[in-house]
Amino acid sequence: MEPQTRTEPDERAPFVVSDSAARRRDGAGAEAGPLGPFPPAAALAATLAALAFAAILYAWLRGGGSIDLPWAPTLGLRLHFRLDALGALYALLATGIGAAVFLYSGRYLRLHLASDGRPARDERSFYAFMLLFAVSMVGLATAQDLLLLFVFWDLTAIASYFLIGFDRHETASWSGALMALLVTGITAVALLVGSVILFVAHGTFSLPEIIAHARPGTTLTVAAALIAVAGLAKSAQVPFHFWLPNAMVAPTPVSAYLHSAAMVAAGVLLIGRTYPLLAQSQLVLDGMLVVGLASMLTGGLIALTRERLKQVLAYSTVAQYGYMVALYGLGGAAGAVGGAFFVAAHALAKSALFMVSGAVTQASDGEERLGRLGGRWRTMPIVAVAGALAAAALAGLPLTVGFFKDELLFKAALKRGPLVTALVAAGPVLTLAYIGRFWGRIFLGRPRQAPTGPGSPPATLVAPIAVLALLSLAFGLWIAPLESLAGAVGSVSLAGKPAGISLAYYLDARATNLIALGVYALGGLLLATYRHWLPVAQGFARVALRFGPERAYVSSLRQANRLSSALHRVEVRDLRRRVAWVLVPCGVLVAAGLLATPTVGQYAIGKLGVGDAPLAILLALAAAAALAATVPRSQLVLVLVLSASGYSLAAVFALFGAPDVALVAVLVETLFALLFVAVFSLLPDDVLRREQSLSVSHSRRWRDPLVGVVSGFFALAVVWGTLSSPVPSDRRVAERLIDLAPAAHGKDVVTAILSDFRALDTLAEVTVLVIALAGVAGALTRRRSR
Amino acid sequence: MLFLPLLIPWLAAIPLVLLDGRRKGVAWLAVGALAAHLAALAVLAVRVFAAGPQEAVTGEWPPGVGIVVRADALGMVFALLSSGVLLAALVHETVAGIEGRRFPAFVVFMAAGLTGLFLARDVFNFYVFFEVAMISAYALSTYGGQAREAGAAFVFAVVNLLGSFLFLLAVAGIYHQTGTLAMDGVTTGLATAAPNAALLIAVLVLVAFSVKLGLFPFHPWLPAVYIGARPAVAAILAGALANIGSYGVLRFGADVLPAQLRAGSVALVVLGSASIVYGAVQAIGRREAAEVLAYSTIGQVGYVFVAVGIGGAVGLAAAVLYAVVNGLNKALLFLSIDLRGWLVGAAFAVGAFSVVGVPPAAGFLGKVAMFQAGVEIGSVALVALIFLGGALSFLYMFQLYQSDFWAGTREVGRSAPRTRVVALALAVLVLGLGAWPEPLLAVSRDAAAALEGTRP
Repeated sequence: MEPQTRTEPDERAPFVVSDSAARRRDGAGAEAGPLGPFPPAAALAATLAALAFAAILYAWLRGGGSIDLPWAPTLGLRLHFRLDALGALYALLATGIGAAVFLYSGRYLRLHLASDGRPARDERSFYAFMLLFAVSMVGLATAQDLLLLFVFWDLTAIASYFLIGFDRHETASWSGALMALLVTGITAVALLVGSVILFVAHGTFSLPEIIAHARPGTTLTVAAALIAVAGLAKSAQVPFHFWLPNAMVAPTPVSAYLHSAAMVAAGVLLIGRTYPLLAQSQLVLDGMLVVGLASMLTGGLIALTRERLKQVLAYSTVAQYGYMVALYGLGGAAGAVGGAFFVAAHALAKSALFMVSGAVTQASDGEERLGRLGGRWRTMPIVAVAGALAAAALAGLPLTVGFFKDELLFKAALKRGPLVTALVAAGPVLTLAYIGRFWGRIFLGRPRQAPTGPGSPPATLVAPIAVLALLSLAFGLWIAPLESLAGAVGSVSLAGKPAGISLAYYLDARATNLIALGVYALGGLLLATYRHWLPVAQGFARVALRFGPERAYVSSLRQANRLSSALHRVEVRDLRRRVAWVLVPCGVLVAAGLLATPTVGQYAIGKLGVGDAPLAILLALAAAAALAATVPRSQLVLVLVLSASGYSLAAVFALFGAPDVALVAVLVETLFALLFVAVFSLLPDDVLRREQSLSVSHSRRWRDPLVGVVSGFFALAVVWGTLSSPVPSDRRVAERLIDLAPAAHGKDVVTAILSDFRALDTLAEVTVLVIALAGVAGALTRRRSR
Repeated sequence: MLFLPLLIPWLAAIPLVLLDGRRKGVAWLAVGALAAHLAALAVLAVRVFAAGPQEAVTGEWPPGVGIVVRADALGMVFALLSSGVLLAALVHETVAGIEGRRFPAFVVFMAAGLTGLFLARDVFNFYVFFEVAMISAYALSTYGGQAREAGAAFVFAVVNLLGSFLFLLAVAGIYHQTGTLAMDGVTTGLATAAPNAALLIAVLVLVAFSVKLGLFPFHPWLPAVYIGARPAVAAILAGALANIGSYGVLRFGADVLPAQLRAGSVALVVLGSASIVYGAVQAIGRREAAEVLAYSTIGQVGYVFVAVGIGGAVGLAAAVLYAVVNGLNKALLFLSIDLRGWLVGAAFAVGAFSVVGVPPAAGFLGKVAMFQAGVEIGSVALVALIFLGGALSFLYMFQLYQSDFWAGTREVGRSAPRTRVVALALAVLVLGLGAWPEPLLAVSRDAAAALEGTRP
């Protein structure tokens, strides 16, 4: 009779891959089919993104604008979007880089699908989620309401989840997707909690209003810290950074878009957007500085040691966002402007570099290990040059946009003294080394493995790289547009104060220039003597991966699954104990209720007179019968003993003024006894005998009486406490019922109640009988037909 | 007008019980009856939300002599939700092909029972309709007719009859202590009763509804039943019948016994918290969809208890909102259990995101309301608990989603496109309610405002 819940021998946490060697190779093989016409979905997506880019640019140049519609008046929520500088910067990045990546995806994805033997129609969901992401990103960039921000925040996580899991046949993409979702999704709740704290404090989710009213204090610090945590996790900062390298299982266009330029940038976007709140707490700023520096060094060091192209870039992304977080943590105008400027500069360079890695892998039979590449400048010179430009921009070399991002970093750090400056300068040194190694190992030297791929990649793979790389160069030469935009973004983050930062090349011995020169020298040295440093970096990487937060994530997932299995093993599975699990907690709650309220005089036993003797005898009989019911093994005897208890109670009713109740009780007892006997006579003899001879387990021998005593106790307490005390009769409705019975044309009050006053109840009870009959009939007919 | 939503299913079910529900015509007749009932309910709800509670006394006797029937915002919210889920489950089974002769009749009977219960303002009348709904549920849980279903139905009936008995004991206590069965009189009557007696009555009520909800530690019947029953029945139990528990705790706790609720609010918060953690931890290691969802339900009802325990306008509104969203989520998820295909995967993902509270699925509103309630009373522990519960739900929902739809264990199941209609419609509804949150927020605020407990 008992449905047994299936126990699972499998206690392992599913979707956990801790071994980084299991990371699947990205990219596609060379056996890709013939290039057909350019995929229309990609063309459409790229066109839409480009149009959106143009529209946003136009609107921004015309002075921005805003949309403000009621959304949920109950909570004062508004669909409030404003295209301010901050919104414009991120929306332009999302749509601009989006257009480039969509163009790149057209060919790339077809080759990727073909190499996995998947049909081309699988690309539809890819473009759907990429577009969803682009739209969410624009929404996120312009939202002015914290709850609206949270909605778009999570929408980007949803798109990211499905895109990381795009290769459904790869177990690594399951674990990578789950990891990204858990890390960014759960930390997003911190943003929600922070927003709710601000809502409760200020009565609104509207960010401009909160910023206008917020004053420093514990509440603000807590809310700001929670918001910052969400931002840091999204921007892959230590200790949440580990999801990003694991997200590299996604197809390369996804990495180039979401996991370098856009979704990861959302964290910094949030920090920039809420900066007027965050900046009111020095604690939060210092925390961000520490996290930023830690990410910068961790990411940089590990990037030096990685073999796979996308892993180098992923750890580089961790490090680069570390710069931005550190910039915001350093604070002031240089920090706020620098953070914004850095995002744009990094997005251009990093997207280009990811697309370079995809193009190289594509052209090399899916090879993505640095050690097996080399000499690729011969076969793909344009990619090599574009890659060099992007790498130079990332490394902050002069004449590229990257130079200014580092200058702002040094400028902000100098205000915090030499130690911070030295730490901050270590980041660019590492950057120069790892990105130099990255580029050199791909393009320079002799080919360590002959390229077996199709040789030069198709134009639609190269063009987006070239465009982004040229933009990195162009903005390095003509800084004005980006400078003014970043300045405006900085002033949004500074709650409207003008940032007053100007950028230009100065050929003098100012501090920032000297630091930059030092960085180039040290970085070059590090690159040249790379082999000697490698063991140190490798040791660090090994320790970081072995004892780092990724390990904690994996083991906590395992532990959670193990704990669940352990808990499930002790879960109740038989009927007897299921009943006990209702009765015993009920007894505990009743006991708690007794302890919590005054019981003086409630449980007093009155005087027992001679006249009470029949009652006492009958009750003793009923109790004795109930106790005796625990003894017999024969079913028939058991039924008879139970009826004895019931008949005794019926006699109590008969003696104490309720002959009708007594009659009903006798009838019910008789019927049940007969019914049981009838059922027993239908059951096969051996079944009955087997049940009788079943031995009682040891645990039941003490558990059953205990459950019985507890439930008996609470039933006694409840019945005694609630039903035995006399209650003044003046407010009873019963008298009114008796008075009104004649008006209901009832000869007696019971009839009037059943057929008039409470006829609805009677009707419903009759319905209960009908349903019960139908249910039983159904069970019986099924049985017969079987 | 007040009685129409009750009479339609009640009268329709009686001929239906005599007909063979496996026939398409009969099944669609039942669907029509339920749709008409839902429409009548909607009309009544509009009137209630626009013009305030609608009241009648049976036989036009004085209140207390006759039975008081009153439709207020709280009752309407739960009635609409329950009947909506019943309709969805019935359409789902009808489209896929009903296997039980009396399945449609029992569903319609349950609609009558639930509606009566949500309208009742009389303690005993509440119990009677409660029995109508429960007996229909016992009958429904045998649907499918195999040993597995029969076993589940047996456990379900035994444990829940015990719960019903405890409630009946409480009704008797209420009548003895206050001399009346009308809910309005009970509150004032118990104010002068012995505090001990009043609290013990409240304890019994609490336990009875905890059993209905499957709250830890009263839960052990629930996984067996949700796993053993057919998906459509599990959807009905989780999305419609369990509302008795949520509504009961709100109505009896915050409306009929507000003083006792205040006294016992710590117990509610503790029980709810235990349930949140226990359900979530159990769900993580389960690999079968029905099992995960069953334990998830145990965890999710914990939030309702915590919210009621927090109380006040914000807490009670959060409880209503959470109960509604959870009912919809579970209906959606259970109805998609025996289906497959990428569209079903999408619908399931919507449900999963709703359970964990990721927008734009409606579940995030529940999370917002819970956090708001927790922050409002300034309890760091509760906020942390809600956060933890959410984090664990992320893990179990997406482990399940990935193993079912990505790793491809969901190979069996119905694949005919028409069987997916209801699950998809529910997914769209869940998304829509999240994207346009005003109706849910306003309705739950009004529903909570109907309760005595929100008044200072």
